[in-house]
Amino acid sequence: MMKETPIAAFDRELSIDDLLKGVNREKLLQALRSLLGESVCILNMAGDSVLGEYNDRIDSIRIPLTIQLEPVAYLQAGDSKVTHSATILVEQILKSAERYLMASNLHVEAVHADYEALQKKHEALMDSEEKYKALAQNLEQRVEEQVKTIENAQRQLYQAEKLASVGQLAAGIAHEINNPVGFITSNLATAQNYVSNIVKFSEQIQKELNGPVLKRVWDECDIEYMLQDFNELLKESVSGAERVAGIVSDLKDFSNVDRTEEATLNINQIIHSVCNVATNQIGQKAELELALGELPLTRCRPGHLAQVFLNILLNAVTAIKKAAGKIQIESGLINREIVIRVSDNGKGMSAEVMRRIFDPFYTTHDVGEGTGLGLTVSRDIIAAHNGTITVDSQEDTGTTFTIILPVKE
Amino acid sequence: MAEYDEQLQKLTIKLVYYGPAQSGKTTNLMRLYDMLRPELKGDIMTMETKNDRTLFFDLLPIGFRAPSGLLIKFKLFTVPGQVAHDGTRKAVLSRADGVVFVADSQSSQSMNNAQSFQNLADNCARAGLDFESLPLVIQFNKRDLPDIVSKDEVSARWDKTQWSLFFSSALNGDGVKETFVELLRQVYPAMERRFELHTKHGIKEHDFIMSVMTSTETGVP
Repeated sequence: MMKETPIAAFDRELSIDDLLKGVNREKLLQALRSLLGESVCILNMAGDSVLGEYNDRIDSIRIPLTIQLEPVAYLQAGDSKVTHSATILVEQILKSAERYLMASNLHVEAVHADYEALQKKHEALMDSEEKYKALAQNLEQRVEEQVKTIENAQRQLYQAEKLASVGQLAAGIAHEINNPVGFITSNLATAQNYVSNIVKFSEQIQKELNGPVLKRVWDECDIEYMLQDFNELLKESVSGAERVAGIVSDLKDFSNVDRTEEATLNINQIIHSVCNVATNQIGQKAELELALGELPLTRCRPGHLAQVFLNILLNAVTAIKKAAGKIQIESGLINREIVIRVSDNGKGMSAEVMRRIFDPFYTTHDVGEGTGLGLTVSRDIIAAHNGTITVDSQEDTGTTFTIILPVKE
Repeated sequence: MAEYDEQLQKLTIKLVYYGPAQSGKTTNLMRLYDMLRPELKGDIMTMETKNDRTLFFDLLPIGFRAPSGLLIKFKLFTVPGQVAHDGTRKAVLSRADGVVFVADSQSSQSMNNAQSFQNLADNCARAGLDFESLPLVIQFNKRDLPDIVSKDEVSARWDKTQWSLFFSSALNGDGVKETFVELLRQVYPAMERRFELHTKHGIKEHDFIMSVMTSTETGVP
């Protein structure tokens, strides 16, 4: 707001200069001269002329011009009756000027006061507007907080449901596969016994029935090779069935994701199980290198941590775009804290993306490929373990996630 | 606020007649002009419109000289009473050293009196005057008219307050001087305190009042 110069009070004392402002000086002087002669002049209280020319003729007299109670000036002219009458006349002119000046000054003062009052009202309005603005902003912030809380709850609910359904599916499949794998393994073992018996039996046949027909059929059917290969086939099948059994066992471990209770175990165990589950996704795309150090047992929620490692591992796989992809998982104990580091030599990400990857519903994947919740939930899970998760990435070079968890006994 | 000019040896005291429209503020001033005989009395300056209503203000300057040579000058103002002229009213009230509130005794005017009195309090605050300590005399005017609020009723209301109450008929001059004397009596202590009227200028409360009333009774030259 502009600072106004203070308005002069309307009831201030007016000087002769003020009073003569509203009077045509030239005409007044002309009239006075024709009445009182050329030597007439009006002097201010200091004795300086304010109208007409000062002179010091000895035959002149000075008569005070009184406004309100006091003289404001003197009329100087020749000593005559007319001079006294002229004084009264000039006084009346000055009083009229005074009346006008006071009224106009009062008007200015009043208008200024009204203007100031308006300004104050305006300021008060601005103040109240500020208050409402602040309130509105506060409201926005509170709503934002509420929304965040709701989003958080929704996210956890979503994740819990997802984990539960994945867990149920995995448990169901594991159970269904376990039985056939069981009898396949057992049958294969029996079949191996049978084959060794058949081998023994065929040797005897060759010794005792050395006829030309048998020899021909024996060669035609390549029984010797068949018996040898049969055994190999069974051996291969047994090892295949064992692998199936191993995957089922890992799947079962992993299907415990919906288990929220804590367990005390070695985190390397979780990492192994996650790697086995992800083997298919990793496939030929990348070489997985494990460098797992000695870790103490720690209390944690294995299902949740498995979810975190799987999220990060699958993200790493997705990031690999070139041949000779490499993913490394390291673990170790540094400063009495468990440190797990997952690095890839994939496409990396920009600082902009890096800033946002933990934001809910933020995803760089195509529609349908990711919910944008994986890393958000991962961060939540690690935070629930009183740990931290950080990311370091460079475009075209790779990304490293570092998880630090405190050891809980 | 009173203005003291040491060089010119002059003290100017501003007194204001406040109140609702047509309650008799200008009439009070005219009667004082007729009745007071101070050493110095200027012309009364009135600014009336054709309906006898004060548009800006009326002004009556009076004064006397103290034994010390100090000129004590009173400027008696009236404010325009009409509600619409509030800006002017506030400007006139500014810097006042004392106020006479002129109320209209007619029964029909009670509401206007109350509004105007509230307006006085508001404008005091706006003009930076302390309403509680401001010298203020209440005058119920127009006692000569029929259909007025009785003295008992007015007293019952105002005796409980800190302000002195006077009844007047300004048109006849009744109560006008008494009201003014009471205002002078209230104004004196503040002036004495600020300007040492007694010790430095030889003016006691009695002289202060009587010098305004008449120039002969005080014996002040």
